[in-house]
Formats: sequence, C-alpha cells, structure tokens
Amino acid sequence: MADDAALLRQLAEGDEQAFGAFYDRWNPLVNAVALRILRQRDDVEKVVEETFWQVWRQTERYEVSRNAVQTWLLTIARSRALERRHTRKQLRENPLDDDIGDVVVQGGTESNLAMNVESTERRRVAIAALAELPAEQRAVLELAYFEGLSQSEIADRTGQPLGTIKARVRSAMQKLKGRLFILREEAR
Amino acid sequence: MTGERTAHEKARQALEALALDVLDVKDQAGVLTHLASCASCRNELAALQATAAQLSYAVRPVQMSDSQRDRVRALLLDRAAADDAPTPDGRTVPEPHPTPSFHILFPHTPAEETLPHKNAKTATTWVAVAACIVALVSAVTLVRVRRERDTFFTAYQIALARNALVDSLRVSLEERNRLVVNLTGSHVAVINLVSNSVASLSARMFWDQSANVWTFVAHNVPAHKTGRTYQLWLVTAKSKISAGTFAPGLNGDAIARATYALPKSALIAVAVTDEPAQGSAQPTSIPILVGVNSTR
Repeated sequence: MADDAALLRQLAEGDEQAFGAFYDRWNPLVNAVALRILRQRDDVEKVVEETFWQVWRQTERYEVSRNAVQTWLLTIARSRALERRHTRKQLRENPLDDDIGDVVVQGGTESNLAMNVESTERRRVAIAALAELPAEQRAVLELAYFEGLSQSEIADRTGQPLGTIKARVRSAMQKLKGRLFILREEAR
Repeated sequence: MTGERTAHEKARQALEALALDVLDVKDQAGVLTHLASCASCRNELAALQATAAQLSYAVRPVQMSDSQRDRVRALLLDRAAADDAPTPDGRTVPEPHPTPSFHILFPHTPAEETLPHKNAKTATTWVAVAACIVALVSAVTLVRVRRERDTFFTAYQIALARNALVDSLRVSLEERNRLVVNLTGSHVAVINLVSNSVASLSARMFWDQSANVWTFVAHNVPAHKTGRTYQLWLVTAKSKISAGTFAPGLNGDAIARATYALPKSALIAVAVTDEPAQGSAQPTSIPILVGVNSTR
C-alpha cells in the first residue's frame, strides 16, 4: 500500500486511481473537520469535495519537508469550511446536531485501517496536549480554530479584554507546541 | 537597528495569532512585511502553523454515509478526468482556491522539496519567486488600502456624529432662548399658585400673551401614585381647559409647556389636580394647587 507522499507524487502525475485511494483514506477525517466547523451537514459534502479537489489541483504546492500530508490536507479542509461558514453565517441561529462527533470510523478497507492507526495516534496526542491547557486557553483555541473568530471577535464574544485574549492565544499556542513535541517524542 | 528589533519583537508576538489565522486585519501588514525579510520568524510561523493544524486531530473522524461518500468520490474522479483532458482552446483550467497557508507568500528555500505539477512542466524557480513577491506586495497593499478605507470611514462617522451633536445643541439653544422669552418677555403675565394640602409645594404659571405660550414651573411636587398623574387646568368662567399632564422629576421639580390662545380677560385661575394616568376631560379631584389670575 502506497504511503501518502507516494500517493501525492502519483497525483502530481495525474494518476486518478491514486486520487481515489487518497480520497478513500482521508475522507472521514476531512468530513469530521468540516462537520466540526460547519455543524450542519448541508454544506459538509461540498467542503469535502472542494478540499480534495484543491489537493488534486495544487499537489505541487505541498512541501514534503514542512508538514505531514494529512496536516496539509486538514489545513485546506479547515480553510474551506471556515470560508463557507463565513459566507453562510447561519451557525448562531441554528442548534448543533446532536450526533456530531459521536460516529466512530468503522474499520474495513485497507486504507481506512491504515488511516485509523496513524490518525488515532495523532488524535491521542492532540487531545492529551489540549487537556493540559487551562480551560480558558482551550476555549480561546476552540473559538479561533474551529469558529474562525479573530482575536477582537473572541474578545467581544467572551467579554474579556483584547489584551487578555492575545496573551491567551500566545500562551496556548506555545504550550501546545511544546507539549505536542514532547508527546510525539515519547510516542517514538 | 532598534526599529528592526522592535518590528521583529512585534511580529514575533503576533505569530501565534497569524498561525491560527485570527490576527486582526489591522495588525497583519506589519507582520507580513517583517516576515518577508526574517527567516527566523518564517520558521517559527511554520512550526506554529503545524501546531495549529494538529488541532484538527482532536476531532473524532466521522464516516460519511456510503451514498454520500461514493457520490463525492465519483464527482471528484469525473472532475479529475475532465481536468486531464485538454481544453478546446488549449488553456489550463484555473485553480479553485489559493493554498490556505502563508507559505505561498514566501520563496521556498532550496532545502524544501515540492512535487512537480502535472500542468506546470516549464515552471522555474525565479518565476515562483517573482509570483511570491507579487503576492506579498499585493497582500500588503490590500491590507494598507483596507486600513486607509477603515480610517476614512471612521473619520467620516466621527464627522457625522459631530454634526449631529452641533445640530442638537443648536436646537437646544434655540429652545432655551424661546423659554427665556416666554418667561421674561414684556407680555408675560405671572400667576402664583399655592397649595392648601402640601405646605412646601409652590408653582408659577408664565403666560406669554403675545405668543399664547404657557410655561408652568413647580417645586417640591410630591411623586404621584402609581396609575395617577398631575393635570394642569386653565379655568375660565365657561370651562376648565386642560393644559396637559406632567410628572415631577426625582428632585420634585416639574415644568410643563402648552400653547393655547385665550383672551386676556377670560382666564380666572390656573389649577392642578390629581388625575388618572391618561388624564381627564374634566377635573375629577380637588385641586392641590390653585393660582388666581390677578391681572384680569
């Protein structure tokens, strides 16, 4: 089974079969991120499609030395989902879907099983690192990353001074960076 | 040198927000400009962007329904097949979106490996660098233009607010001037009102006979009961004419104004009664204030 970097090389050469395999491997995670940001299922399918389409069109922009493939992919997914969310601006008027985030990936295909092993480990590390942050810093990261609010908007939403929000963003990101590094080293 | 260091420190403090893409627009121009010339900050930004991306992993993967997954898959493969086919005029299909990363703003270092593009066989490094510079300049210009637009808009709003304030003060001043004339003019008759029930209560009616304006001023007026109000009456031989209702302020002072034409000799007295909140067509209670017109 080809790894992600190999699949991307095939994508760069226009290999549609590799594109299908890449989609099969990562669509659950892209779907989850889009669902987490949009919180409504209506637009998620379009975001998933646009995310993978951007991968196909911009494969050459992926920098092998900089990020893992899935990190690049999820960055695109987040950006597309936030873009759609900003356009729609319906979130605050609509309740959350009750079952969001509760559906677990069912193992089955070879590519999904491979994705499960790696992403499960990454998920474990991310959750452990987040758990070590103070609640107010976690909340700021949530608003920033999944709701796409600027620092001023977070200050407005939370009623906290802008300076406090900026300090929390800085502190949270630096702690997260440090903890992720340590947790990844420990996992090796 | 100090300026560069300050810019570096300011940019450094904004990198976390920039990595999360939550830096306020007004703060972006300075940071982006600094990043163009600071490899250290670019590396830190890349590390922070990788950190931010890890937040996505905290979300539990969610499988799409089979039909949904297959539908999107089929759509993507169809688009990919069409994308590979040459277009009738030989042009390539435009890209859907820019990559959501600040990496595209800066030239790649030689150590960074990128994948060849299926539609860009002749691309060279200097073209990429030039494109990046153009992108950077465009981004900075865009931010600057937006900032200037915001500044002008804010100044415009302030000017509008100032004009509104000046207009409001002018109206208020004209109103005060009219009041002074209605109280002190040569054609103003003054009627003193007294109370039999509240010793400290006193009032005066200023009747500007040239303008038919009535100005009633009272002091130490007790607060009226819930559902009640005070009503002012112009008493003539034939009728009692309502000049409106009023309520005292917290300090017990009250002022009421009315415009009503009345022959000089017609007014016998001015009175105030306690009435239901909506007022009455005719007095329904004994007056708490009465003033006889002694100028008839």
